[in-house]
Parts: sequence; structure tokens; C-alpha cells
Amino acid sequence: MTSHDVRDVLNLPSDHSAGPRPAKKQKISGPRPNLKGLAREVQSLGGDNPIAIVPEEAVFKKRRIANRKPAARWELRGFTNSARGDDGALLLRHWRRKADLDPNHDAGQDGETQMTDGVVDGDKPPAEVIEDSAFAKYNVQVSVPQYSEEQYHSNLQNNDWTKEETDYLMQLVKDFDLRWPLIWDRYDYSPRPIDGEGVNGSEMAVVPARTPRTMEDLKARYYEVAAKMMAVQKAVQYMTGPEFQLYEIMQNFNAAQETARKEFALERMNRSKDEAREEESLLLEIKRILARTERFNEERRELYNRLDFQTTDSDITQFRGSAGLQSLLQNLMNVDKSKKRKSIMAPGEGPSPQSAVPGSAVSETAPNNRRESIAASVTGHRDSTAGTPATPVEPAAPAADKKKKGAQPVEKRNLSEQEKQIYGLSHHERLGSGPTFRYEKINKLYSHKSGQQQMRITNALAELDIPPRLAMPTALVTQQFEKLWTNVTSLVDLRKVSDRLDADIKVEEAKKAERDKKNKPAGETTEKEKDGTGAEKEKDKAAEMGTKDGESSKDKEGEAAAGEEKAKAGGDSNQGGDGAADDGSAPPGAADGAAGSPAKPKGGEADGDKDKEKEKEKTPRPGSSGGHKRSASVLSTTSDKSSKRQKK
Amino acid sequence: MAQQPLPSSVQPTTDMYGGDEVSALVLDPGYSTTRAGYAGEDRPKQVVPSFYGKINYDNGTRDIFGDEVIYPRANFERPNYMNRDSVVEDWDAATRLWEHVLIKRLQPARATPAIRNGLNDRGKNDENGDVDMGEGIEEQEEGEKPLAESPLLVTEAPWNTTKNREKAIEIAMESWGAPAFWLNKTPVLAAFAAGKSTALVVDVGCANASVVAVHDGMVLKRSIQRSPVAGSWLSGQIRSMWDSSDPKVEVVPTFMVENKKPVEAGQPAEARLKKFDFVVPESFRAFEEERLLTEFKESVVEVWRGPGKFQGPNEDFVKSQVGRVFEMPDGYNQMWREQRFKVAEGMWDETAAYPPLGGGEEGRVQKGQTIPALIKASLEGVDADLRANLVGNIVVTGASTLLNGFNDRLHMELTAMYPGLRIKIHAAGLSSERRFGAWIGGSILASLGTFHQMWISKKEYEENGAGIVEKRCK
Ligand SMILES: Nc1ncnc2c1ncn2[C@@H]1O[C@H](COP(=O)(O)OP(=O)(O)OP(=O)(O)O)[C@@H](O)[C@H]1O
Ligand SMILES: [Mg+2]
Repeated sequence: MTSHDVRDVLNLPSDHSAGPRPAKKQKISGPRPNLKGLAREVQSLGGDNPIAIVPEEAVFKKRRIANRKPAARWELRGFTNSARGDDGALLLRHWRRKADLDPNHDAGQDGETQMTDGVVDGDKPPAEVIEDSAFAKYNVQVSVPQYSEEQYHSNLQNNDWTKEETDYLMQLVKDFDLRWPLIWDRYDYSPRPIDGEGVNGSEMAVVPARTPRTMEDLKARYYEVAAKMMAVQKAVQYMTGPEFQLYEIMQNFNAAQETARKEFALERMNRSKDEAREEESLLLEIKRILARTERFNEERRELYNRLDFQTTDSDITQFRGSAGLQSLLQNLMNVDKSKKRKSIMAPGEGPSPQSAVPGSAVSETAPNNRRESIAASVTGHRDSTAGTPATPVEPAAPAADKKKKGAQPVEKRNLSEQEKQIYGLSHHERLGSGPTFRYEKINKLYSHKSGQQQMRITNALAELDIPPRLAMPTALVTQQFEKLWTNVTSLVDLRKVSDRLDADIKVEEAKKAERDKKNKPAGETTEKEKDGTGAEKEKDKAAEMGTKDGESSKDKEGEAAAGEEKAKAGGDSNQGGDGAADDGSAPPGAADGAAGSPAKPKGGEADGDKDKEKEKEKTPRPGSSGGHKRSASVLSTTSDKSSKRQKK
Repeated sequence: MAQQPLPSSVQPTTDMYGGDEVSALVLDPGYSTTRAGYAGEDRPKQVVPSFYGKINYDNGTRDIFGDEVIYPRANFERPNYMNRDSVVEDWDAATRLWEHVLIKRLQPARATPAIRNGLNDRGKNDENGDVDMGEGIEEQEEGEKPLAESPLLVTEAPWNTTKNREKAIEIAMESWGAPAFWLNKTPVLAAFAAGKSTALVVDVGCANASVVAVHDGMVLKRSIQRSPVAGSWLSGQIRSMWDSSDPKVEVVPTFMVENKKPVEAGQPAEARLKKFDFVVPESFRAFEEERLLTEFKESVVEVWRGPGKFQGPNEDFVKSQVGRVFEMPDGYNQMWREQRFKVAEGMWDETAAYPPLGGGEEGRVQKGQTIPALIKASLEGVDADLRANLVGNIVVTGASTLLNGFNDRLHMELTAMYPGLRIKIHAAGLSSERRFGAWIGGSILASLGTFHQMWISKKEYEENGAGIVEKRCK
């Protein structure tokens, strides 16, 4: 230890010693490596080629790098803890770095305090504010329901519990911060003797039997009180979501169920070794079986998909050419490959059940997903050509899906309807890739329609005061909108058909007029019959009706047509849950509605093919009158139709 | 110290380890030893036998504390201030012993005020006023209580009585003037020392073995189970075993041997015993014998690890194996084979225990007193939901658990008892941590920043009286 160190410790100024020390230090560390004694001698023997000697390191002798600054000063500083809630009655003291004061002044003072160590606090009154413990903030208290006397009597009466015992329970809950095992452990309520004068006749006083409480009893009572007080303080309908949830949970506490659960848990704990082993092996077995059925379902589903693929692929024009065939082959190969990869993985799951449990879960889901996406892309493609965006018309796929669902609940937790609503969960047969906006779904509906039709639909909606772009497209709203939209489209379609009919009638009438003109000079009946069978029939029918019932029957027919339309719209909306307007299926319905009209075969052909449909739509349109187009409401359509028939 | 200490100029940040040291003292009185030291340290600075030394003179008694005094004198008794329940029995002796460790040994020596240290005395026959002044200061000094600077945390057995607890705070507050006080139960602290706040604590000490469930830093009272099947019972088993051994083994403590000659194994000892010209008090001899027995436990006794109990084929197998040789202070030595397992078997299987030496029934192990039985009973006093968690958090503490094979056997017994549960035993590897588990837990607790709101302050004591300890230290 050098004088410098001593000074350092004593906080004396080190100015005087600053001079000689560095020089001394230089002498030591400067010219030669720190080899000593024999080692140095040996080293010097080497002369020009020094021998490699690892110098022995004497760590304990290593000099502390002298700090020119005076040593850090520490002080015993008092502090309080506000979490104690005793207004700083307890002053504890810990060592803290002394704030750097004026060093000159400090040095002198420090010497003084060292001298009178014992009374260090006496002569230096704590002028500075006493700090609060940094840990006070960790003091968190539970809030226990409070109730007044009246509140207890009006709300919390319970045959099983006296107010005293309830108070006692609440106190315990507060004392033990809602830690139920502790509350139950320390619960030791002994009712006070009922007799008023318990002092002298304490043995005679009737002591009510002490009811042993289970933890469930205590919890049930506490939750009852807490829930009721919650409702008293804030009516149920004003509670916020979390508050209400808490309220519901507390209200629905089922002590009996809890007890049963605990009994079950205990039984499980007390299983014998054999039972434990047996249960374990059974569980394994179940897992294995499940994994197997899963795989089976998987394969079956794929098979269905494939069958499906071939039957419903109506448009095979693209595979006519050799390039098309090539791509088809490629497609099939890909599907096959993915299947093979799976069947290679599959056998590994069998023999080693331990590893199979987590392993199968992974390997099962991965191909599953891929398969799904393949299936989705395949069907999606088909759908878009068929003009039905998302509604699966084919029977096989839903069946397979159903089967899949049957197997799935094992893995997925089954949610109740209510829970599904809470989480906003809904099931879909298939999902498009990526997130989409809901209003885009509506836009998509339009995109399959021709401009003309789009316009008619928008007009219809405008008539109903519905903006074409929904202001608030929530799931429910879009669903309703879709329903409405399908109804509107079907009406528009009906209109289209009726327009076509009108046009045909006009044409036929014009033809007839011409023929009449011709016939007047030369009466050829055979030709007339040949040309206008449809028109003839139509005419006959109209004539029949007209003669039979007159106006009233025509009205009836109009009503019937409207009824049909409604039924069809209902049917559509059933399917419409899938979020797609059924464009393709509308024409057949419309054609049915207008049975006996010449337009019927055309409508029938339109089934399933949107592009063709579009073309056909275009052809009759030029002929249709603009006046009918404007009105689009249900009533006006039917009235138009019936009025036309009436005219005839 | 393996870790580089913080440089003196750096103030430890509180968020680093949650500690905030207030130079609190921790006192852990046990039946065999009393441990004391400053909170925040990793082991107690003071470990003294609870069997203190007391010399009876004609005109009074003198106490001798600490480990130093090991040679016998006339009338030198070694009574214990604790009783077999591991709670304080003799409060006068307890106060003196605690003062010895807490104040005499652990408090920094205080500088005598300049006026009394004699350096300034110019002559004895000075003015009277000077002397008066000195006395006045002395009185004032006396008024300052010896522990005025240090909060005190004392440990207690979980079954400590209310009277005893109140007595403890009374002494700390009134005799020593501690600014703050706290009483904590040993199992909780042992769990803290193992880094757990919820655990099933198996403490096998000297007078008592106990199994207590700790939930969230508090003892579950209904789970408290204890039995005398611990260190001193084991000593009794060894004595019985030595007594019934074929050449009967005499227990001759070291202080009685003057010199000895090496002898062959199993041959009678050749040693000259010391002659004392006074009667060596029984308690002194018993204490010294106990030291010998502890040595035997440390080096020879082992717990049968399983499979199964230590009987039949297991015993035969051990008989065929090499045993351990132990040499008594008088030179007698012998190889101990199956006996060294047998003495500890009573802890696990009451039927295997040796009958106590004096005959009689009271020292016999009862059915519910073995350690597995204690654990089972303890878990039965706990809510069903906690049990699995507790079995997965078993903390083993107390010096008698240092017996070889103890943890293995415990694990085996538990797996047999609860085959369906995951069992995990936490036992400190360091023997000092096992011996001082409760003290170390106290050391951790008292140096936690968040603990400072718990202390019972002097003011609270003055306002509420000793009864506050029941209200606060639950
Ligand atoms: N290495 C060891 N192996 C076996 N036993 C030992 C060992 N070291 C000490 N013991 C025994 O442990 C006992 C002391 O244990 P411990 O210090 O935990 O008890 P204690 O806490 O003072 O007593 P208690 O908890 O009963 O009040 C003594 O009986 C001693 O013989
Ligand atoms: Mg102990």
C-alpha cells in the first residue's frame, strides 16, 4: 500500500504525491517485461533470441489503477416507504451514493464526521427531503366489495350465512388478497354466542354449531356478494364488456360443479401405478386411432375431389389442343406427387407411437393445408368459369366437407353459438386467399353482370334508398344486402324475360299483320301455322284466358307469378348464404315463371354459362322498349306483365 | 468470491435484483444451532450451538456462548434454551444468547465518546461537575438501545405459540430497541431460499422433521405435519445400534480420551481416558457425544435408495458389499455394512426402526411419523387443486437431509405414492444452503426492497402492543 492509497482512502488531497508516483511507475513498467528473479536470468541467457517464457502472473499483487479522483462517497440515507401507510413512521436507512458537493468543502466535513462516527446523525439534521422507497409502487391491493348495513339487508341476505360471517369472509379475502387456498386454510369462524350476556355465562350461552365451510362454499358466497354489489353499484345494462363478463362469471359460479371437478382431480391423483399406465396407453391408442381416421378421411376427401373434378369440368375446350392436354397432365402429376409425398410420410407414424403424437399432428396438418389450397384453387378456377363464384353446386364436395368436419372436433375446440358470435367466428366451405374487404365482395357480385344489368340493379336499389356502396358493411349488413341483392337480380332477370316476351309478341304481331296483309290477297293457311306455332299457342292461350275469366283471372295469374318469384328468391337466399348471387340459376327460374313462352329454350340453355348468357342478353335488348326498363320494383314488373296480357 | 464485486463508486440499481439493503439482522434459532447474520449475505456470520454453556458457581451462574468452550469444567452444564418442539423455552437464556450473537458479535464496536475514553482525563480528582457530566452522557448512551440501527427478522417454527411470538417482539423492541421487527416461519423462508414462493417444504432438522405446504409465501396451516423423526432421533437410533452391536460399541467422546493406540478392526480399544477430579456433568457429555454422532451420520450413515424397502434381499445384498469404516475417538474401529442403512430406515418405514435405548414406548416411531406419511398427511390438508403443483415443487431443507441417499429415497417413495404426478425435488447442492436454508431465505427476504412495507415498526408496536405480531405476521 502506498501513501497514495492511504490518502485515497482518507480522502486527502493527493496533490503532493502526484509528482513522484508516475515517475516511479514508469521505471517499473517501462524498459523490461515484468519478469522477476530466476526467470529474468534465464531470459537474459537467451541473448538475441529470447527464450519464450510465460511470465507468471501474480494477480493478487496487481496494483489497482490509481484513480486520481477522490474516492466515491457514500452515506447512510434514511428513506420511508409510502406503501406502509404509516406516514413515514418507519425510517429505514440504506447506503446511497452521496451527491457530489463542493469537493473542498466536502473533504473537511468528511474528516469531521469520521471522527464523530457514532453521532453522525445527531449533528447533521436531515435537511433534505426523505425519499420514498422505489419499491412502494409495487404495493397493489385487491378491492373487495363494500356494503353498508342496509345494502346487506336488502341485497345480500342468505339463509346459510350471517352478516357476521360474511363480514369475516370479506375481511379474510382482503387480508389474503383473494388467494383462496389461504383463505380456506385460515378460515376459522366461530360464531359469537347468541346470548347477549356472554361474559359470566359463557358456558351456558348457546354457541351456534360451527358449519365447516368448503372452499367452494366460501367462493360461492363471495362471488354472490361481489356480483350483487357490482349490480347494485352499476346496473347490468351499463356495464362495460369486461365488467359484464366478470359479472357473468361470478354469477355463474357453480359450486357443485367445482366440487365434482376436484373430486375427479383427486381420483386422478390417487390412481395406482397400473391404472396410470393403463390410462396412458389408452390415451396413446386413442391418439393413434384418431390419426388414422384423419388420414383415412383425408384420402377419401381427396378421392371425392378428384371424382368431382372430372364430372363437373364442363368446359373442356381448353384441353382440346395438345398444349392443353400437356398442362392437364402436368396438373394431374402435381396432385399425384403431393399425394405420394404424404403416403411416404404416413407409414412412419405407425410403429413409434410416442413420437407419432406430436409428429403426426404436424405432418397431418401440413399436407392437409396444401391439399386444401389445391382443392380451393382447382374449384375456384372451375367456379369462375361456371359463373358461380363461391357456391358449390356439386354434391360431392359438401359431403366430403361434412365428413371432414365430423373428424375435426377432436382437434378443434367446439365453440358454442354464443362464443362464435363473441369471437366473430364463422365457418366457410372455402376461403379465398388473403384478406378482403367486405364491400369488395359486393363489388364482385356486380362484376359478373353486364353493364345494363348493373345499371338496372343500381336503379332498383336507389329506388329502395340503398346506396350502392354500403356505408357500414358489417358481416350482418352485407349478408342482408346480399339477400336483397339476389332478390333484386332475380327480379331484374324476370323483367328481362318479360321484355323479351314483349319483343317476341310484337315481332309475331308484326309478322301476323304482314301475313294478314298477304293472306288477304292469297289465303295460305299452312304456312302461317308453320311459322308461328309459338305465337299461335300464345295467342290461343291468351284468348282462352280472356274468354274464361276476364280481368280477374289475369290478375290472379299475375299474383301467381309474383308468388313464384318470391319462392325463387327465397330459394336463392338459402344458397345466397355463401355470399354469391346465383346468376346462372336465375334464368331457369324465370323461364319456369314464363312457361309456354318462346323464350323458354333460350333461358334453359343459359343455365351454367355466364358468357353465353351475356351474349344472349345482348341480342334481345335492342328490341326491348326503354319505357319498361325504368321501373324495376316487383309490383311494377308484374303489373306490366299482366297489363300486357290484358292488352292481348 | 467468484463474481467481481461492483466498484465502490457504482450504486447498485434496484431493478437489477430488487434488493434494498437496510442492514437488517436475521436470526434463525434452531434446536441444534442458532444462526445469525446480516441480511443480504449468503450465509450466517454467526452459528452457535443452542446448547449454551452455563457454569454454576456457588454465588451465581456464568454463561458461555459459542463453540469455543469445549473442555469440561466442574458444574459446566450445556442446557438448551429451546425445547424439543424447536420453540424457545428459556427466555432468559435465549435473550442472552441472542444478545451475544446479534449485538456482541455482529454490531460494530462503537467508539467510546471522547469524554469517557480516558484520553482526556487530566486527573481523577477533578471538579465534580466533570464527573457528573460524564455520568449524564453515560446514561444517555444507555438510553440508546443496542439494536437501534438494525431491523430484525426472526424465524420461528410453524407451530410457534402466540405467547412465544409476542415475547420475541417484546425483547426485540423493548430490550434492544430495534426499529422494525418481523417474524417469519421457517418453511416459507426455506422455500424462498430455493427460489420458490409455493412449495411443499420437507425440513428434517434436529428435534423435528416437518412437512409444510407453502402457498404464495404463506404457510398453509392445515398442512403442517411434524414428527420427532429427525437428527436427534437418528442419533438415538445410532446409539441403539451401537448398543445392540455384537461387540458393544462404547460411546466415548473426544474430550475423554487422553491418548490412544491403533487397533485392528473389531478389537477392543486401547486408550487411556482422562481423569477428571470433578464429575463431568451429564449434559456436557451428552452434547459432546452428539458431536460424535453427527460425525458418524456425516461419514457412515446412508439412506437406502431403493428399490423397495431396506429388508430381505436388499439387506443381504448390502451385507455382501464393502462397508464403511469408522474410528471412534478411543481408537475402536469397525466396518459398518447393513447397519449404516438400517439406522436411517426408520425414517421411511416405522417397522424397521430400532427400539429406543431405554426401552419404553415414547421414543418409538409411530405409523404416521415417517417422512412419506408426513407428506401424505400434509397434502391431505391442502386443497385438491394445489396438490399436483406442490408435489412438483418439493423443497428439502434441514441438515439431516444431508444424509446420503435421502433425496433419492424421497423421490422413490413419492413416485410410489403418486405414480400419476410429476414429482420434482429441489434440494440445494451446497451443504451450507441445506443447513441454513431458513436463514438464507430470511436473508433474501429482509433485503428485498418490497419487503420494507411489511416490517412491524417500533411505532406500530408502541401503538398496538405485542399483539400486533399475531395480526401482521400471518
Ligand atoms: N451431514 C450431515 N448428515 C446427517 N445429519 C447431519 C449432518 N450434519 C448435521 N446433521 C444433523 O442435523 C441436525 C441439525 O439440523 P439443523 O441444523 O437443520 O437443525 P435445527 O434447525 O437446528 O433444528 P430444528 O429445525 O429441529 O429446530 C443435527 O441433529 C445433526 O446431527
Ligand atoms: Mg431448522
